[in-house]
Amino acid sequence: MTLKYVAEIMPSLLQGAELTLQIFFWTLVGSLPLGLLVSLGLTSKFKPLKWLLNFYVWLMRGTPLLLQLIFVFYGLPIIGIVFDRFGAAIFAFILNYAAYFAEIFRGGFQSIDEGQYEAAKVLRLSYGQTIRKIVIPQVVKIVIPSIGNEVINLVKDSSLVYVIGLGDLLRAGNVATSRDVTLVPLILVAVIYLLLIGICTFVLHKVEKRYSYFK
Amino acid sequence: MRFLKKKLALVLLFLLALITLSGCTNLTEKANTQDTWKTIKRRGSVVVGLDDSFVPMGFRQKNGQLIGYDIDLAKAVFKQYGLKVDFQTIDWSMKETELKNGTIDLIWNGYSITSARKKKVAFSRPYLKNEQVLVTKKQYGIKSFAGIAGKTLGVQTGSTAETFLDEYPKLLKDKIKGKQAVLYDTFPNAFIDLNAGRIQGIFMDEVYARYYINHEKDKSDYQVYFDKTLPSDLFAVGLRKGDKTLRRKINQALGRMQQDGQLAKLNKKWFGTASNYLGKD
Repeated sequence: MTLKYVAEIMPSLLQGAELTLQIFFWTLVGSLPLGLLVSLGLTSKFKPLKWLLNFYVWLMRGTPLLLQLIFVFYGLPIIGIVFDRFGAAIFAFILNYAAYFAEIFRGGFQSIDEGQYEAAKVLRLSYGQTIRKIVIPQVVKIVIPSIGNEVINLVKDSSLVYVIGLGDLLRAGNVATSRDVTLVPLILVAVIYLLLIGICTFVLHKVEKRYSYFK
Repeated sequence: MRFLKKKLALVLLFLLALITLSGCTNLTEKANTQDTWKTIKRRGSVVVGLDDSFVPMGFRQKNGQLIGYDIDLAKAVFKQYGLKVDFQTIDWSMKETELKNGTIDLIWNGYSITSARKKKVAFSRPYLKNEQVLVTKKQYGIKSFAGIAGKTLGVQTGSTAETFLDEYPKLLKDKIKGKQAVLYDTFPNAFIDLNAGRIQGIFMDEVYARYYINHEKDKSDYQVYFDKTLPSDLFAVGLRKGDKTLRRKINQALGRMQQDGQLAKLNKKWFGTASNYLGKD
């Protein structure tokens, strides 16, 4: 492995890494709030809403993300909904990840003792106030490690976008591998993924520490 | 009440299926009848779908730029009409869907003519002949197609070689171990296995085989075999059936390139051959 070769293919790999990061960022921005909303619906007492959301979670967790990407980009045009490539990727990723996040949040909500809701009621707090001021601060602390797990998964799952023709980090590596007939680009790809996930782990650790009050 | 709910769900499901189905026929019908030449002309560019890892037809250089035989050819063809060519990377297994959905206008990337594809897409005049060859290494002692008996063979998923394997079973498939070839996503993986001895032969495009062997240190270790009974594989441009004008324009442009020697020049540049081949429509 010569350094010259590494320097030569690095720009194209970094370009791929940029797309990977874009998908990562926008998916998190969309799916975390959506997941929170869905989890509130999942714990609600309104039955039809609960059924609908359970069906959504089942659908999203029950089929491979790769298949969902294919349906969104190649299947939806059949009924007249046309996304551009990047939009399709973000749409599919947000829907998929929101389902996982919703289940994690649901676990968090259910671990809050029923007594706290009752206490809040006695104090004449509204439902919104109870959720915002009392429940969510505790839920956040509980779910951070599980969310972190999914966040790290997301970095690697983003490589699935090759199926709709987007050039992410792994694809850039594959292109270089088939052109230069060597596995070196894939080793570099692995190193870049490790670095990205290293940074993620570090940040998550900091966040966890920041929320570790009352312990 | 419960019964009603079930019925309602059934009706909904049925409606959904109906919409999907009718949508399906709509898109196909559109692709088969609509002539998009005017739209392309107005846009000033045509979108070519390609797999950017298909060496040497279309692939990315280290600086990220696309080069290749097909890239040069497509640019030269549309230069004659003052059109720009946008190259869109696609997943190769999705190429016909991309074409039908209109996300690309052409499939132009070592796309060979087969009877199954002819049912779904229209083809231009073929511009290149490609044989399917058997690549092996000296140490495995294979001297011809017959030599593969009892050995393990690799092919790329969805490639012409894989189709030929099933169409001419007597040639290779009936002889190989377990009557089943090993399937690879990409050629480099197949070559890694060939070098490691896990397979003894690869059935593949001559075009890529030549390119790959040239890149190996021990070029003389590899052997390439042809079989005369196999039809040559013809590379052509894939279009939507409705795009009759676009097809005529491409064919005319290719014809002009054959006459003024541009086509021969391209063959010289990429394959070192003096061929001036252009198939009949």
